[in-house]
Amino acid sequence: MRTLVTVVLVFLVIGCGSKPQAPLPEVTAFARPALPQGCEDPAWRSVPAHVAPLLLQDLVEPRQLVATTAAVTVQAVHDGSRVAFRLSWADPTHDDSPGAARFSDACAVQLPAVAGADLPAPQMGETGRPVEITAWRASWQASVDGRGDDMTALYPRAQVDHYPFTAPSLAPGSPEQEEMARRYAPARALGNPMEGPRSSPVEDLVADGPGTLRPAPRAMSTGSGRRTRDGWTVQLVRPLPAGVRPGQRGAVAFAVWDGSHEEAGARKMRTGWVPLAIGEGS
Amino acid sequence: MALVRNWQLGREMSYWYPEARPQRQFAAVFDINKCIACQTCTLACKTTWTSGKGQEYMLWNNVESKPYGFYPLAWDVKLLDMLGAQRWQGSRYAGRTLFEAAPAGERVLGWRPEDLDYAHPNIGEDDCAGRIDAGAALAVPHFAWFFYLARICNHCTYPACLASCPRGSIYKRPEDGIVLVDQGRCRGYRECVKACPYKKVFYNPSTGTSEKCIACYPKIEQGEQPQCFVNCIGKIRLAGFVSTPEQARPDNPIDYLVHVRKVALPLYPQLGLEPNVYYIPPVHVPLPYLEQMFGPGVSAALDTYRAAADDPDLAGLLTLFGCSHEVMPRWKRSGDTVLGLAENGRELMRVPLREPVYVRTAFDSARGVVRTNVP
Ligand code: SF4
Ligand code: SF4
Repeated sequence: MRTLVTVVLVFLVIGCGSKPQAPLPEVTAFARPALPQGCEDPAWRSVPAHVAPLLLQDLVEPRQLVATTAAVTVQAVHDGSRVAFRLSWADPTHDDSPGAARFSDACAVQLPAVAGADLPAPQMGETGRPVEITAWRASWQASVDGRGDDMTALYPRAQVDHYPFTAPSLAPGSPEQEEMARRYAPARALGNPMEGPRSSPVEDLVADGPGTLRPAPRAMSTGSGRRTRDGWTVQLVRPLPAGVRPGQRGAVAFAVWDGSHEEAGARKMRTGWVPLAIGEGS
Repeated sequence: MALVRNWQLGREMSYWYPEARPQRQFAAVFDINKCIACQTCTLACKTTWTSGKGQEYMLWNNVESKPYGFYPLAWDVKLLDMLGAQRWQGSRYAGRTLFEAAPAGERVLGWRPEDLDYAHPNIGEDDCAGRIDAGAALAVPHFAWFFYLARICNHCTYPACLASCPRGSIYKRPEDGIVLVDQGRCRGYRECVKACPYKKVFYNPSTGTSEKCIACYPKIEQGEQPQCFVNCIGKIRLAGFVSTPEQARPDNPIDYLVHVRKVALPLYPQLGLEPNVYYIPPVHVPLPYLEQMFGPGVSAALDTYRAAADDPDLAGLLTLFGCSHEVMPRWKRSGDTVLGLAENGRELMRVPLREPVYVRTAFDSARGVVRTNVP
């Protein structure tokens, strides 16, 4: 068994084409003239990583009382105005389709909305002291990558005879047809696209305490994720935290959800605040 | 956790939020004895509310044959098993509710169905599973029994769905007690799907949010009964508003059946949600089964119901079921006539206690014709 593990490790290291580096003690965003193009950009190979052990979310109900994902490997670079994080973690099950009891793998990066040494509570901030969150879901990625939202995309052998908004009297794509389709998708009609057709696999959120998560006033993050041999790797790009300039320090927190363990919302593995160093230059 | 009063349990219980009863509480009485499992209610709801993508499998109203029918699979027996023994001491519940039995780290004791648990509503549930001994079907009472259980969301006084949502995306309307999922706020965590013991919140995989029966609130706001009520072929349903026992009014039809005559009972009251759909239990089903399902009041309820033929008030009120599209918050009997009334006493509906019966012979001797397709 040990031989097999060694072989796999050697293979992984060679496969990544990078020299093993000692993990960084904190998250460091290295200055680069340009940000990587995506989570698979070879530029990431030379960026040293911090390995953040994940803790149970055992503070508010519903609590996570069984440890699942052990750690998330974090790399970061910035270009003077934006910061890119790459999160990689092991997850043997690939969960990216929604269903009654099927949950999506997911991850998130959290930063204090206001920079400073006096940090808000790491559990989603606190009243009057908000945090900013960039969240990614595997099911959103699948939608962006082309999976449709028809039943047959989720259940290939499903049969549907009729939807009111596909009636022959409604020209596909016409305003009347779209208005009718919206009527049958209430969450989408209210601008809350939690599944279905999505243009981005990430969402910007703010919170000032558990249970207060809400969409940010404006979208500012981008990102993409890919399934790896043994888990996920996800790149999230957002503006540098307000008030934090190259050479300064801040804090960042991470969360990972494992769909196969029905993790969503408060049921998650998470970190506390991790020191974040923003490298000099750009 | 707060201590709240649950009159269905005859005691206080713990709940995630303090007691906050609405100004009036939407409620219903279903007379199980009259349901013919035609599923018109199911289709009335389906075509009105759940024709969209991701809603294909959802039946906000469903009708299942008990004891072997379930939607979703095993919804009640699975939870009853998880909850363990449920004992009543007279009319006081001595066991634990779902809130009191919540495991560490959880707000409610619950479980979440898999996709396939919803996949086969009604399939095979009335089929005989074993050999029938010769002559069994001819015996009265039948050796085998079953009944149809029509189910919607109970718009519970203490909703488990609402208690379980960590985001507060579910709310109970103060004006009528209807429980709704805010589609703009829900993030699809499905805590409510897990917590609702009646399995009446459904996850929509196309929108990524949870959806549920809305008691046709746009109709309730107009003083009309919901779709599954007005379309019911068996006329088993009556919608209205229920009071607490202390405030019960005999001229409120729901109060009269639930509190005054105690002929209509809540579904699995021991779970602790104070559900607001009340059932007149079926007369032909063994008592232990019915007591597990409707609590300790079953025997008395059945005695009262069986005697309804000689009870003009009760029989009269039962004739108001399914006779109007309007909600009738008040009622009265006047001789052989039963009246459904508005809150201010305005007459909405008038029904004879007994429908007149005309017997016409097959042969019309005056015209010398056989009455086939002839008025
Ligand atoms: S029946 Fe279920 S969904 Fe309806 S209010 Fe009660 S707990 Fe909520
Ligand atoms: S419409 Fe009425 S009679 Fe028919 S199944 Fe539904 S509740 Fe029963």
